[in-house]
Parts: sequence; structure tokens; C-alpha cells
Amino acid sequence: MEDMQEIIEDFLVEAGELVEQMDQDLVELENNPEDLELLNSIFRVAHTVKGSSSFLNFDVLTELTHHMEDVLNKARRDELKITPEIMDVVLKSVDMMKELLEAIKNDGNDTDCGVDIEDICKKLQIAANGEELPSSNSIENEEPNQEIVDSGNETNEDEFDIDTSAVEDEDYSNLSDDEVEAEIQRLLQEKQKEKEQKKRTKKSPIKKEENKKETPAKKSPNKASTPEQTIRVEVKRLDHLMNLIGELVLGKNRLLKIYDDVEERYDGEKFLEELNNVVSSVSMVTTDLQIAVMKTRMLPVSKVFNKFPRLVRDLSRELNKDIDLIMSGEETELDKSIVEEIGDPIVHMIRNSCDHGIEDAKTRVENGKDQKGRVYLKAYNEGNQIVIEIKDDGAGMDPEFLKNKAIEKGVITPNEAQSMSDKEAYGIIFKPGFSTAAKVTGVSGRGVGMDVVKTNIENLNGVIDIDSKLGEGTTFKLRIPLTLAIMQALLVSAQEEYFAIPLSSVLETVRISKNEIYTIGGKNVLKLRDEVLSLVRLSDLFDVEKVFDSSDHIYVVIIGLAENKLGLVVDGLVGQEEIVIKSMGEYLKGIEGIAGATIRGDGRVTLITDVAAMMKLASQVDAVISEEEQTKEVVKNSPSDYHILIVDDSRTDRAIMKRALKPLGITISEATNGVEALNIIKSGDTDFDAILVDIEMPRMDGYTLASEIRKYSKYKYLPLLAITSRTSKSDRLRGIEVGMTEYITKPYSEDYLMDIVSKNIKLPQGALS
Amino acid sequence: MSEQLQEVLKKQKEQLNSSLLDKDKKEEEIVQLVGFMVGREEYAVPILSIQEIIKPIDYTRVPQTPPYVLGVFNLRGNVLPLVDLRIKFNAPNTEQSEDVRYIVIKDKENVAGFVIDQITEAIRLNEKRIENPPETLKNSNSAISGIGKRENSIITILKVDELLKRDF
Repeated sequence: MEDMQEIIEDFLVEAGELVEQMDQDLVELENNPEDLELLNSIFRVAHTVKGSSSFLNFDVLTELTHHMEDVLNKARRDELKITPEIMDVVLKSVDMMKELLEAIKNDGNDTDCGVDIEDICKKLQIAANGEELPSSNSIENEEPNQEIVDSGNETNEDEFDIDTSAVEDEDYSNLSDDEVEAEIQRLLQEKQKEKEQKKRTKKSPIKKEENKKETPAKKSPNKASTPEQTIRVEVKRLDHLMNLIGELVLGKNRLLKIYDDVEERYDGEKFLEELNNVVSSVSMVTTDLQIAVMKTRMLPVSKVFNKFPRLVRDLSRELNKDIDLIMSGEETELDKSIVEEIGDPIVHMIRNSCDHGIEDAKTRVENGKDQKGRVYLKAYNEGNQIVIEIKDDGAGMDPEFLKNKAIEKGVITPNEAQSMSDKEAYGIIFKPGFSTAAKVTGVSGRGVGMDVVKTNIENLNGVIDIDSKLGEGTTFKLRIPLTLAIMQALLVSAQEEYFAIPLSSVLETVRISKNEIYTIGGKNVLKLRDEVLSLVRLSDLFDVEKVFDSSDHIYVVIIGLAENKLGLVVDGLVGQEEIVIKSMGEYLKGIEGIAGATIRGDGRVTLITDVAAMMKLASQVDAVISEEEQTKEVVKNSPSDYHILIVDDSRTDRAIMKRALKPLGITISEATNGVEALNIIKSGDTDFDAILVDIEMPRMDGYTLASEIRKYSKYKYLPLLAITSRTSKSDRLRGIEVGMTEYITKPYSEDYLMDIVSKNIKLPQGALS
Repeated sequence: MSEQLQEVLKKQKEQLNSSLLDKDKKEEEIVQLVGFMVGREEYAVPILSIQEIIKPIDYTRVPQTPPYVLGVFNLRGNVLPLVDLRIKFNAPNTEQSEDVRYIVIKDKENVAGFVIDQITEAIRLNEKRIENPPETLKNSNSAISGIGKRENSIITILKVDELLKRDF
């Protein structure tokens, strides 16, 4: 029984691939009806499936393939001409084959699923006899529901038949034991032939190329039938392997970081060289290993592309347009999980191109174009990404038309429309509830679809780029990262916090000066070359504690997702790093703007931003950067507007200082140790103009406090005055090292302290009371 | 000699067995807990729900979370959420103390770290001495599974699954 199960599984995989192949070949056959080679290979597929399924007692499938085989056989012997009508029937039966295979996969038999093959068999028979096929609709109407019920009963009986007399099932396959033997024999021969065939096809592509220059080279069929060279591995195992590699990559990052530290500390030591060798070889092997494992998960996009010729063929018949699909780059490889995800979006986009892009034949001729519309589907690698390009030579998009339509439907406001660039206008088609089709067809115009495309692509961290020329056609470019588990990220800082932005979404980074920022409608925008980008502070998005940067220049990371762009103001660019995505568990799942977390080389956790959600968040933030700057510049009128902090553990010392500074009339706060002082400063309630620091204090001494304070960009220039009885040179040096502005030794005169303080806080001389 | 030895060993074995049996009997009624302080109150969670107890380490803030969610921290390569029970239970303790610990608590699916002021002790408590929470507390704080009565104090026993459930 176990053995049987295994055989059935193998059969399903093989048949699935064969049917896929057949689908493609049939469509190609329609374009090239004379290609005998092709016809032969299609016939063989039908034959093989029939053979194996009858051997495995899948009678419904056998019956279906049997009838198909008849038709194909006649065509092969030139007794029958394949007309589009016949092709429709054949394709329909291929669809049914798929359904049956699915049913076998799920239920283990092909009789329970209620797929009704009677109809199609009849049609196939008619076709095989060379009779005129009635138009496809009439048969379906003539054979009413009654029929389905009947056949349902029949198939149920079949099942019982199988149980009792599995082999001698009279209705569908008249196989005796001998015939089974023969069948096996034939299957073996079949394999033999396939192998020969493969040799032949290796030579044949050149011929094919000549026939049809436009069609890209076909992949040699039956790739799966060389089991000696491949092993089927459970995806779960690969996932596990990938996770382990992820851990290893983290370890590698950590090692590199430690090496950097060690190098700094023991510069010039001999063992460093050795360590360097080990570290670099480990990191190289890790990278190679990661790539190797990633490759095992890679699948060619042809897995997805294969179904498109059929799709376009059906569409062109349905829409009554003449459309050619020209594919290239099917061999480009992508991670399995991504291949599974991109199918649907591409289907929608091809439909969109066929329905909205390509004009009908008449219009095309009138516009001086070839009557035949063309849709190009292209895949290629670009850096760490794969680009999938869907291009049509249709009508192109009219931005004004899109805008008007969108206003009409209430998708955007007239105001928004006015400030939209052409590219943004093209982006309208991805908004939910928008459809430009004048009438709802079976294909599109229902207002769903393109927004699904956008969501799906965004989930993959992908970017959609649209280019269109009115009258000449439209190009969609999908940029998708190669893998999801490990990725390249740009690390940026917002004040003291770090965030990782997926590099695939980063378009560029620029350094601009503050006066390049404009305000439109209460939002900050940046004019970058020809584009106007909205700007938002990363700190505002994630409520990072504000410690303003006083620098005139700011860094902007331009992020792009699907067709949207946004300028993200950050406080620093830390660098590019390879990160492994870790989930934060159920408890913190779905935090807006955060896609996950990663562990950096220093062992700390860094959050990974979710670019799509950030874009959404950005529209809700209306903090204006330049305004913030203005409120910061508080005009100080009287000495009491100046605020200093005294940090000393001795009450007496604090009192002495206060008394000394009293004549200045400035406001004074106190803290008893470094920790307390740091908390007061961090809270940001008051902006201090200077801080007087004692060196020797419990819990956190003055040196540590100073270096902590200097970590904040806002306090880079805040005067820190050390007041201490330590007078040695090394103490002074240490003070300068940690960033003290002045070093005052005890005892000091009151005048001296006053002088130093007022000089450092830039107290106007006249203000002295 | 050897006979004697064997006898002794036999006796020991019997003793061990009987004591083990005794223990088994008792264990049906005895609940093992770990007690800890949050503010001035003592709480406890079942000992088996605790994965480990660690000294405070660096954590990373996560935006858009309530104040009691401090962020996430790295526990040997796993990213875990960190919840400050002192804030969650409205018992803020401003004083930094050497005794502060992270308790890493897990249930079937979730793991998270919780900041507490001090670990007190491992507690063995007879099930009979645990009462249901008083009616008045039932709604306001569903994280309480019972009140344990001890010699001279009472202890609040927390529901692990409630603690680990996201409530924002």
C-alpha cells in the first residue's frame, strides 16, 4: 500500500509537469499548426498520462485522455486539421485533466470529485470523427443538468466496480492482465523514446528559432524525467536549513564586529593576522553557504510563466483581439516562496494589458499599428533583485483621463489631482475601487485586481514602476528581492535608536540642507531633480524621543515601494548590513510600521521597518520639520531664561555654587548624582544652557555622565563644566577626553566661577544685574 | 559482608521507593510556584511556566506599544518581547535596584520576558490553600488565577496565558 502511494505521488508530480508542458505546447501549436514535432510531443504526453492512469486505475482520467489521444492522433496523421474550435475543446479537456489530477491528489481517486467528462468526451469524439463542431455554447445548453446527475451516479458506481473488479472495468478501460503487461511494456518504451526525444530536441531549437524568431527558445521538455540527477526534498527541510544558515550569518556578523574591536585594541599584534585569516575565511564560507542554500530553494520563473501563453490565448479569444505574448528570461530564478506569490499579480497585470492596453484590431489599424497586439513578458536579474517587465504596445495611459476618472469615482480629490505628476497619476490604477474599463467584462473592470497586485508586490518588498506613452504602450516593471529570509538592509539612526530599512526599497540617500525643504499644504516636501517628494521624519513615525539635531544638513533616505516614493529624514546613515529577519512573536505581531526584528553584530536587537506601512503612517504625520526648528529658537530676554544644572553629591558644594552664581540671576536646577542628572536631561523638560559637574559622585561619576551626555547629538556643544578637587594632569586629560568644556579646580573664587559660567552660556554682558 | 551490604542497599532502595511514592501522593495537591515582588506586593507564577530568570540586559524600544511594553531583547539569538510588570500593575518603582530581574515565561506558543523588582523564593503551596480571586477583582484584573494563603502573608498567583496574551 505504501509503495502504491509512492507511485501515485510520483505519477501526480510527473503528470502535473506533463500537463503544464502540454498546455504550453498546445498554444504554440495553434500558432504553428504545421509543426509535427510539437504535435508528436503533445500526443505523447496524452498517451503517457493515459497509460499511467489506466495502470493506476484512474478510469475517468483514462477515458478523458483516451479521447484526447484520438483527436491528437488523427491530427498527427494529418487526417484532421486543428481548428480553433477543436483547440478550444482540447484545451478544455486539458483543464479537466488538471482538475482530475487535483482530485486524485486530494482524495486519492478521480471519481468522487464530480468532474463531468461525458460532455467533453463527446465533443472530442465529434472532433476526432472530423465532423463540424457545434458552437461551444450549444452543447452545454443542450445537455441539461439531468446529464450531470446521471454521470454522477455512474461514476459512483464505478467506484464500487473498482473495489470488486478493479482490473476488469468494462466501461472505461478494457484492460486484461495481459494488457496491463503490455501497458507496462509500452510505458518503458515510452521512457526510451523520451530520452531519444530529448537528444533530438537538443538539436531542434535552432530549427524552431528559424521558424519563429519572436518566440524565445523553448526549454527542453521532460526536465523531470532524469531522476538520477535530482532528489526531491521536502520544503520544510530546506526551510530549516535556511533558518540555521540565518543563525550562522548572525554569528558571522558578530564575529566581524568583534574582530573590528580587537583590531582596534591590539593594533600591530602578530596574532591579529592569523585571526584575520580565520575570520575572513569563515565569513566567506558562510556567505557561500548561504548562497548555495538559497540556490536550492530557487525555482525558474518559468514555473509561473508557463501558464501565461494559455491565459493570453484564452483572453484574446474572449476579447476578440489578436494578441501575441512574447516571453523571455523564463530561466531567471527566484526563491520558491516568492515564485508562489508573484503568479497572481502577473496574471492581473497581463489581463490588464490585454484588456485595457491593447486596442481592438480596427483601432490598431486605424492608428497605423500592426493588427496584432503584442504583450511582452520579460524577467531578468538586476543586482540583488529580479525585474519582471510587462510591456504592451497598446494605447498607453492618459494621465488626465485617469485623474478625471478618479475624481469622478471619488478616489482622489481635485486638489490632489492638481499636484499629481504623470507617474503618480499612473499609480491611480492601483487604488482600490478604481477601474477604467468602460464596461465590465469577464476579464476586468470590476474594480478589484490591480490593488491586489499592489498589496501582493508590497508584501514581497517589491517596487512597481510604471512607464507609459500615450498611443505607444505601457510598461510595468516589478522589482522583487530574490529572497525573503535574509536580506540586505540599510541601517539608519533616529536619535539614539537604530532601524533597518530593506535595501530593496531604498532608492537613494541624499544629504540636503534645511532650506531645500518646502512646505506645501502643511506637509514638508523636497524637490529632488524633477520630482517632488513628501518628507517625513523617521523619529516622528516611530515616536522616538526628540533630541534635536542642530546641524543644518540632514540626511534623507528615499524609499520606494510599488509606485510610491517617500523621503525619510534620518539622523544618521549607519551602513549596509546583511540581516536575518526574526519574528517578534505573537505578542508583538502586526505593530504598524515594523516588519520584524534582527540581531546585529553587537548582539542588540534592531527593528526592521515595514516600508509599506511606513508610507501609510507618513500620511498621518503632519509634524513640520521647519516649524519645529523655529520653536526651538527661544528668545532669551532676561537672565532667568538661562538655565543651568548643578550635579554634585554634596549639599554644601551645591549651596556654595548656587551662592556664587546668584548674582547672575539665572535659573538653577540640582541633581545629586550622575544617574539623576542624566534622567533630568533625557526627560527634555528643560533645555539647559550649561551643566556643572562634580567628578566624584556615587552611582555615576562625572566622567561617565559627560560621555553619556555627549552621545546625544543635541548636546554636542552643551557646555559641561567640571568642578573638582582632582588637579592632576591625567585627570584634566581625562576630562577633555570625555568632552568637558572647562575644568575648574576647587577651591575657586566666586568671581571666577561666575565669569566662566556666564562666558559659557553666552550671557549678554548688560544683563548682569 | 557482601550480604550485609546487599541488605543495606535493599533497605535503602525500599526507603527511596516509599518516599518517592509519598511524594507522588503529595504532589497531587502541592503546587510549586516562584514568588517575586512587583512594587510592594508579592506575586507568583507556576514554576514550570518559567523558562529562566536573567539579570537585566539591553533592550530595544518598539514604537506604537503601550508604556508597559518596554520593547524586545535578545535572548541567545531569539527576539523576545519585554514587559514591565511594575508599570503594568501600576506599581512603578523609581529606585534602581540590584535585585531587578527579567523572568522569561513561556506557555505553549508564546515566550516573553517580564521585568520584576525581586525574586523572593520557590514556594510549595497546598492546593487547598489557594482560593479563587475575590469577586471584586475578577473583572478588573483577569490575570489573577488565585490567592495563595501563607503563614503570615498572602500571595497573588498569576495566570500565565493571560500574561502572555497581547492586550493592546
